[in-house]
Amino acid sequence: MSEADEEFGFAEPYDLPIPYLHRIRTYYQTLGYGKPYRWAQYRDAPFTPLKKPLAESRVALVTTAAPYQPDKGDQGPGAAYNSAAKFYTVYTDSTESDPDLRVSHIGIDRKHTTAEDMRTWFPLRQLKRLADEGVIGGITERFYGAPTNRSQKRTLEVDCPEIHDRIREDGGDVAVIVAN
Amino acid sequence: MSLIARHLEENGIPTIVMGCAKDIVEHVGVPRFLFSDFPLGNAAGKPNDVESQALTMELALQVLESAIGPRTTVQSPQCWTEDASWKLDFSNIEQLSEEEIARRKAEFDRNKQIAKERRERDIKSAAAAE
Repeated sequence: MSEADEEFGFAEPYDLPIPYLHRIRTYYQTLGYGKPYRWAQYRDAPFTPLKKPLAESRVALVTTAAPYQPDKGDQGPGAAYNSAAKFYTVYTDSTESDPDLRVSHIGIDRKHTTAEDMRTWFPLRQLKRLADEGVIGGITERFYGAPTNRSQKRTLEVDCPEIHDRIREDGGDVAVIVAN
Repeated sequence: MSLIARHLEENGIPTIVMGCAKDIVEHVGVPRFLFSDFPLGNAAGKPNDVESQALTMELALQVLESAIGPRTTVQSPQCWTEDASWKLDFSNIEQLSEEEIARRKAEFDRNKQIAKERRERDIKSAAAAE
């Protein structure tokens, strides 16, 4: 840190949100994969105002986590990236129980976090508490598992409509989407 | 996940995305986004820290309820650790030796092959079920 940094109480120069787009691009280029991944990019974003207060709204929870599959190798905590645990079609499961979901199939930060606590990527217990406290009207009977598919075509044409239809079927008013 | 948020919103369902990759989510463009400046995998709060998880979920709902328009990003006030040097590590090619790069390339190729086979199988069985 420079003297001025100390004097004015500045943060470390690297203390910014990680530039993932740049990191991932240079990482795979150096590994020898020439053509960089084209991330989805839009100029505008849609917006639907809430139709009723949250206290009267039923919340749908969407996750990229996968149900634990004992026959698919190490899924953590602390597992290396495990592509065998990936899934490619939308799934749903009950929000009544406490499902066992894992993120070994996702590019999480494996150096600084271990995926030991499901609540850090699947906030169902917090939503249940907030439903009990009346902050939200309720939770849909099912949660929705979204494939982390590198095919944007399939995400847009198959997975997105599928998740939408299932949330509608379950009477979801709003959606909480947890990315990994 | 950002594409799902956009699709739901276009079809009348308000959404909030919780995430740790600020630039990626904003690059796609979503209606509402609660950004936690944590390592990837902790979008719903810190591990074994119920207070952090409660605050994160409550913030997300506040953003869902109060955003005035699309591309609303709110950053959680929580810090992962006092020392921010963890941010230097993720997929940072400048931090890797040549041997490590070669090892990662082999690992990447192996996982890609496994994923490809699984994908073909999944899509085939989904088609058969329809």
